[in-house]
Amino acid sequence: MHALIQAIILGILTGGVYALMASGQTLIFGIMKIVNLAQGALVVLGAYLTYTLFTTFGLDPFLSIVITTPLLFLVGVVVQRVLIRPLRGSDVAELSLLVTFAVALAIEGALSFAYGSTLTNVQPAYANSSWTVLGFQVSVVRFVAFVLSLVLLAALYFILQRTKFGRSVRATVQNPASAELLGVNASRVSAIGFGLGAATAAAAGSVFGMLNAFNPGSHYDLISRLLTVVVLGGLGSIGGSVIAALVMGVASSIVSAEAAPIWGDFTFFVVLLLVLLLRPRGLFGARVRGAL
Amino acid sequence: MAEITTTVALPAQGEALLELGGVTAGYGAGLILRGVDLTVNRGEIVCLIGPNGAGKSTVLKTVSGLLTAKDGFVRFAGNDLNRLSPRERLGLGIVHVPQDRSLFPGMTVWENVEMGAFVLNDRALVRRRLEEVTERFPIVGRRRTSLAGSLSGGEQKQVELARSLMLDPALILLDEPSIGLDPKSRTAVFASIAQLTEDGRTVLLVEQNARSGLAVAHRGAVLEAGRVALTGAGSALLEDPEVGRLYLGASAAGKTPRLDAAAPAAAAP
Ligand SMILES: Nc1ncnc2c1ncn2[C@@H]1O[C@H](COP(=O)(O)OP(=O)(O)O)[C@@H](O)[C@H]1O
Ligand SMILES: [Mg+2]
Repeated sequence: MHALIQAIILGILTGGVYALMASGQTLIFGIMKIVNLAQGALVVLGAYLTYTLFTTFGLDPFLSIVITTPLLFLVGVVVQRVLIRPLRGSDVAELSLLVTFAVALAIEGALSFAYGSTLTNVQPAYANSSWTVLGFQVSVVRFVAFVLSLVLLAALYFILQRTKFGRSVRATVQNPASAELLGVNASRVSAIGFGLGAATAAAAGSVFGMLNAFNPGSHYDLISRLLTVVVLGGLGSIGGSVIAALVMGVASSIVSAEAAPIWGDFTFFVVLLLVLLLRPRGLFGARVRGAL
Repeated sequence: MAEITTTVALPAQGEALLELGGVTAGYGAGLILRGVDLTVNRGEIVCLIGPNGAGKSTVLKTVSGLLTAKDGFVRFAGNDLNRLSPRERLGLGIVHVPQDRSLFPGMTVWENVEMGAFVLNDRALVRRRLEEVTERFPIVGRRRTSLAGSLSGGEQKQVELARSLMLDPALILLDEPSIGLDPKSRTAVFASIAQLTEDGRTVLLVEQNARSGLAVAHRGAVLEAGRVALTGAGSALLEDPEVGRLYLGASAAGKTPRLDAAAPAAAAP
C-alpha cells in the first residue's frame, strides 16, 4: 500500500510536467490543425540550453526558464513563419507532419553536433534531496517542477480565457473564416500560437533535464509519449490533455513500481492502442474536441 | 494595430453610399462576375436575388474584401475600396455577415458579441456598444453566458446580427440570413433587418427567400450570369411577372416560394 501511494505521488508529479509539454502541442494543433512532431525535440533543445546555462554560467535550472522560454518562443515563431506558413493546398496536414518531423531531425542533428550523443543530466546541488512527508518521499526537484508546471498552465489558461489575444486564438480555432472577417489576423495568431507552444516545451525541457538523463535522440521517446497524452486527451482540448497527462503519469508510475520500469514506458503505448481502438476521440469524446 | 477609423464622411441619406461599376471577379482563372453594376444608397435595404451559383455571395466578397475585383470599381462613400484590405474596409464601417454560421460555438454569447469589436482598442467604447446592442437584441443579455453553439439557429442569427452592430457600421452585408430557419425565426430575422436602417444604416441583403427579402427591401436587384439583369423597387420586382416566374415560384398561392425552383436553364436569358 505504501509503495502504491508512493508511486501515485511520483506519477502525479511527473504527469504535471507532461501536461505542460502536451498543452503546447494541443495549442498548436487547435490553432493550425497541425500535429507538431518537433515538440519533443523542442523539449530536448530546452534541456540542452538549460544544461549549458547551468554548467557554463552556473545559472539555476529553474531560473534558466526566464531565458529558455522567450528564446524558444522566438524559435517557434520563426519555424511557423518560415516553414509552416508557406504550406498551401489541401494536404497541409500531411505536409506539416513531414515539415515538423524535419525540424525535429534538424534539432537532433544540431544537438548531436554540439553535444555528442552521450547521455547527460542537469544536476544542481538539490538534485537528489527530498522531503519526507507523512512517511512518503517527495523529491524537491519533482515537486518544484510540478508546481512550476501548474503555474505555467494557469498562465496559459489565463492568456487564452482572459486576454484579447487569447480570445482571438479561440475564435480562430473555432471558426477561422469568421475570425478573419472580424479583423483577426490568422497568420499572426498562428505564429504566436506556435511560439507559445514551443515556449511550453522550453519550460518543460528545463525540468526534464533534471529529472531524466537525456541525449539528442531522446525526442523520439518523448514525442511518442506526448502523442499518447494528446490523443488520450481528445485532440485539441488543453484541459483534456492535462488530465490525460496526469492519468498517464500515474498509470506508468504504478506499473513501473509494481512490475518493472521497462513496463512503465510500455504503458504509454498500450494505452495509446487501447484509446485508438476503443475511444478514438479521446477520454472525453467529441464534446470538447476542437474548442481548446 | 492601429486604432480604427470609423470616421469617413458619409453621403446624405438617400445618396449613393456603395457603388459597383463593371465589377469582374472570380476564383482562379474563370470569371464569376462579368461586369456588375450596382448602387446602394445610404439608408436603404437593397436585396440581391438570383439563382443558386449566380455569384451573389461573390458580390458581397468584393465589397468586404475577401475577394478583390479584377476589373471595374467598388466605391464606398466615394473611396475606392479595391486596394484596401478586409481589415481596412472593416475600419471604414463595412461589416460582412457570411452565409454559413459564423458564431464561435465554444464561446459564450457575450464573448461572441464582444468579438464584433475586435478591431477596436477603446474599452469604454466597446462597453458602451455592448450595452446598446444588448438593449436592441435582448437575447444577448438573456443568454449572455450560454455557449453560442447551444443556441437554436434563429437565436444564433439574432446574435450574429447583434455582433454585426458592434462596429456601428455604416454598411452591413447580409448573406442569406434566413437560410435554414423555421418560419417563426425567419419572421424575427426579417423584422430585425428592417430595424437596422432606422438609425441611418445601409444594408445589402442577399436572399434565397426572394419574396421576404424583396418585401423588406427598398430596392431589389436580380443577378444573372454574372451581371445585374434588373433593378427596381422591391415592391415592383415582387409584381414583375418575369421575376415572379423565375424567383418567386411560378404557380399560384399555397406553394412556398423557393428560389431554387429556378433551374439553371430557366435562369438563362
Ligand atoms: N471559394 C470558391 N472557390 C471556387 N469557386 C467558388 C468559390 N466560391 C464560390 N465559387 C463558385 O462561384 C460561383 C458563384 O458562387 P456564389 O457567389 O457563392 O453564388 P451564390 O451566392 O449566388 O449562390 C459558383 O459557381 C461557385 O461554385
Ligand atoms: Mg451564396
